Amino acid sequence: MKLCCSFILLCLFSLARVQAQEMPPVQPLPTQKPATDAKVWGALVFATNDAAEAAAMPKVDVPAEFADIPQLLGKVFPWQRHEVIGQHLQDVFREYESWVVPTKDLFLKIDSKGPATGGGMNLHLQFWRDQQVLVKTDAVLTRQSPLFIAGPKWRGGQLIFVLVLKEAR
Amino acid sequence: MNTPTEDHDLLRWLDGEMSAVEKTAFEARLETEPELKSEAELLQRLSLDLRTHLPAEMPVPYADFFNSQIQVRLAQEENRQSPTLGSRASVFQWLRLPWLLTSAAAMIALGLALWAPSTAPQAGQLVHSIYVPSSSIQARSYHSEEARATVLVLDGLEEMPADRKIVGFNLMHSEVDEALASTTLYDGEGKAVAVMSTHAKSQPVLLTAAPHTP
Repeated sequence: MKLCCSFILLCLFSLARVQAQEMPPVQPLPTQKPATDAKVWGALVFATNDAAEAAAMPKVDVPAEFADIPQLLGKVFPWQRHEVIGQHLQDVFREYESWVVPTKDLFLKIDSKGPATGGGMNLHLQFWRDQQVLVKTDAVLTRQSPLFIAGPKWRGGQLIFVLVLKEAR
Repeated sequence: MNTPTEDHDLLRWLDGEMSAVEKTAFEARLETEPELKSEAELLQRLSLDLRTHLPAEMPVPYADFFNSQIQVRLAQEENRQSPTLGSRASVFQWLRLPWLLTSAAAMIALGLALWAPSTAPQAGQLVHSIYVPSSSIQARSYHSEEARATVLVLDGLEEMPADRKIVGFNLMHSEVDEALASTTLYDGEGKAVAVMSTHAKSQPVLLTAAPHTP
């Protein structure tokens, strides 16, 4: 009798182990949103003197608060037309890298370094062109001062990456 | 146990830094001190082994970036330490310096001449460091007062081919998948447009669903 009970227990134990091996533990879905430090608006701008080329560009509807960016670009770069051809409103995560991808060709990786002493955010930025990192920089981004990155020339004009701090903690 | 002077002489002898006279004297000393001689021979063998098996120069991975980060840290340390310098150093020691009064007067005069009431951060301090991995690209930054913007200029960038179609997105929010270490990017209508991730070498991997159409 004892032997029989032991055999049954052994079978049950083996069965339980097999089932445990067959069914991997289910990963719970994250229930909390990752903590954020800021929100940024990134845009890719095509700057050109060719009106026809500018008109042919597919454009995006720029939020009203960033509508003056093309005008500001005109004060820095020697081009007559500045067309926003891609945009991305992105949270800057506190513990994770954040990507600003207004286009698949040129994009920015952001690592938050926390609030800056004089206001704004300390950020580590990496500007990528496809699989090549063009520049890495540690910079302070403030709400009053956008960042303009002069990108590569294209079709007789130039691609310019714009980063604006929209909100900061 | 060797005294520091002996250690110093031994190292100079091993590195060939002694003059002919010093070397003769030291080697005469080795003949009279067997313990020192055996130590010298041991170190000499060790040094020879290391030089034989290790290359004379080893490339530092990401040396430029490493150096730029060190410079940033040094600048930050200097900024942190400068306000406490006065409390650490003796005031009387500083007062003995003959140039102090002249310099202080000049600094006060310069400060009064340049002082302007402003709480905005200094424009030049907005970009702390720049690192460009490619030697063919030169980067510089400046602050445009007129546009109130920080400008990062990259000279020497390869031109985008004219026949390349630049596909713009219109992304309004994103969600992070912690388990997959990826970010899904959504447009204004909540449609997933792209997924951004990185592979093992920290290279970005961008998977796109559909390009933006105006």
